[in-house]
Amino acid sequence: MGPVLGVTLKGIEAIAIDVEVEITGGLFAIAVVGLPDAAVKEARERVRAALRANGIHLRGRIALNLAPADLPKVGSLLDLPMAVGLAMETGAVSLTKPALFLGELAMDGRLRGTKGAVPAALLARKMGVPLYLPPENACEVSLVKGVNAFAVPDLGALLGHLAGECALPPVLGKGLDLDDPPADPDLCDIKGQAAAKRALEIAAAGHHNLLLVGSPGSGKTMLARALRGILPPLTDEERLETLLVRSTLGLRTRPDRTRPYRIVHHTASTIALCGGGSALKPGEISLAHRGVLFLDEFAEFHRDLLEALRQPLEDGTITVSRASGSVTYPARVLLVCACNPCPCGYWGDPVETCRCPAHVLEKYRNRLSGPILDRIDLHVSVPRLTPEELVCLEGQHGPSSEEIRRKVSLAREIQQERWKKEGFHSNAEIPERLVRTGIRLSRDVRPFMVKAARGMRLSGRGISRVLKVARTVADLRESPEVAVEDVCEALAYRKGGVTGDSA
Amino acid sequence: MDHLETGRLGESLAEQYFRGKGWTILGRNVRVKFGELDLVALDEGELVIVEVRTRSIGKVLPAEETVGPRKLKVLVRSGRIYVEKCRWAGPWRIDLLGINLDPGGSPELVHLPDITAGRIDA
Repeated sequence: MGPVLGVTLKGIEAIAIDVEVEITGGLFAIAVVGLPDAAVKEARERVRAALRANGIHLRGRIALNLAPADLPKVGSLLDLPMAVGLAMETGAVSLTKPALFLGELAMDGRLRGTKGAVPAALLARKMGVPLYLPPENACEVSLVKGVNAFAVPDLGALLGHLAGECALPPVLGKGLDLDDPPADPDLCDIKGQAAAKRALEIAAAGHHNLLLVGSPGSGKTMLARALRGILPPLTDEERLETLLVRSTLGLRTRPDRTRPYRIVHHTASTIALCGGGSALKPGEISLAHRGVLFLDEFAEFHRDLLEALRQPLEDGTITVSRASGSVTYPARVLLVCACNPCPCGYWGDPVETCRCPAHVLEKYRNRLSGPILDRIDLHVSVPRLTPEELVCLEGQHGPSSEEIRRKVSLAREIQQERWKKEGFHSNAEIPERLVRTGIRLSRDVRPFMVKAARGMRLSGRGISRVLKVARTVADLRESPEVAVEDVCEALAYRKGGVTGDSA
Repeated sequence: MDHLETGRLGESLAEQYFRGKGWTILGRNVRVKFGELDLVALDEGELVIVEVRTRSIGKVLPAEETVGPRKLKVLVRSGRIYVEKCRWAGPWRIDLLGINLDPGGSPELVHLPDITAGRIDA
């Protein structure tokens, strides 16, 4: 391994690239080998200009090899290691210990931010080498602990640093900005809908998927948006996971613990949602990892798109496979869906009457009642409020988002403590082998479950899901044991009733 | 002054100019197979083949813009033949010196180093 290292990305993983340079006599020419893409090939123009801006003139025939030679190199993040390799070969600097370089060069030698800084930081930490990166990426990398990183404003400063003339300041691990953004809308500003608010609380606490069904204007979207304000904060480990996905796309991240919240429109393509393309980019479901994926107007989404969600919802990861390769992205999302109960929107409405013919209603429900619905633990009806309720409920809308967030955060901490040694964070992730043994039930729950399962014709997965939700309900009241009333509440959110079919 | 005289004047100006820059002049009007090299010089260990373009003022294009891709190709080919003939193993490049003559005043010199910019593959 040579001393000058760059990286290329494969999914959320950074792979070390050895940059080797040979300069011989001959007419000036730069050849880049090692499967460079167009952006890497064009780097020679940027690198040459940036070096010239720092008084290094290239001459002769130059061959740049990017090893391993059979791995395709993508993007502009290899500019900096190529420049350092060339500077070294011309004798402008010398480098004895290996180091990782990352960054896109401007013609005048300044460094531009790139994607992949966080994966590169993890790689540098693993290899135990220093990392030089653009100042724009310093913020995200400062959240990775134990990495020896330096922010490089321009090539000249880096060459000075390597020559030992003037040292660059190291990137220090920064504390997170713990101020939570204000909840908008705040739950206490939403009138009525006590049942839906309770479901939001349970969903946020246990990371359970949620379906809101209601007629137009009943407040489904507003409720779903209010979920953002009551989500528990990200843990350090979870934060790094979300950071990794964002960094592979070059997205900036705020230095706080807010969970991702991604709203996807129903015209989205499968690739936009699940990831893909020739570059194997992560999709919305991976960007929403450890946070919320909100699908408004759920019934309007293409069926194949919803079916594509089935496997990631179960596994918490998604593997994108194309001709160019296959990568696995994390996809542990809290899925929130909102839809109308029927095409006209007024089925079951207390005031308006539904005008949908029976066959239209059936077609609509067939679209919804796929295996997807089985993966949604909390089904909630959001009825329209009557005029009396809308006018008279002034000033009594229940607890604020902040109060609920505190309660939810406490419940999540209890879960994290309990499942720490199993390696997961929330009740929604309890694996099948632990559902029957890992959840402590009070003595009368088992006979009750048998009766309920028979009466509601619950499937095996149905029973597991009910128990997971019941565990969260018990955690919300800080009880170590799941009682019958917790199970009762969980059963009330099972599918059926809301979407018209039985469980 | 006909165009041949103009050319010779330009090459003399060029030689003066590069001597002033501290280059060693190796030859003028070096004939090789398929062409001629206006000026061959040595710049800090790098062999430089200079194409000198001289134009009297009033022509549409300034001198330095009269080298197109075809001429460049010829220059690269002649340069290779020369480098091979004199067994030069070090780096070399092709420069352009444009000279725009002004009957009233002093000539304007435009020096463009390395006109191939690494874009012609060997």
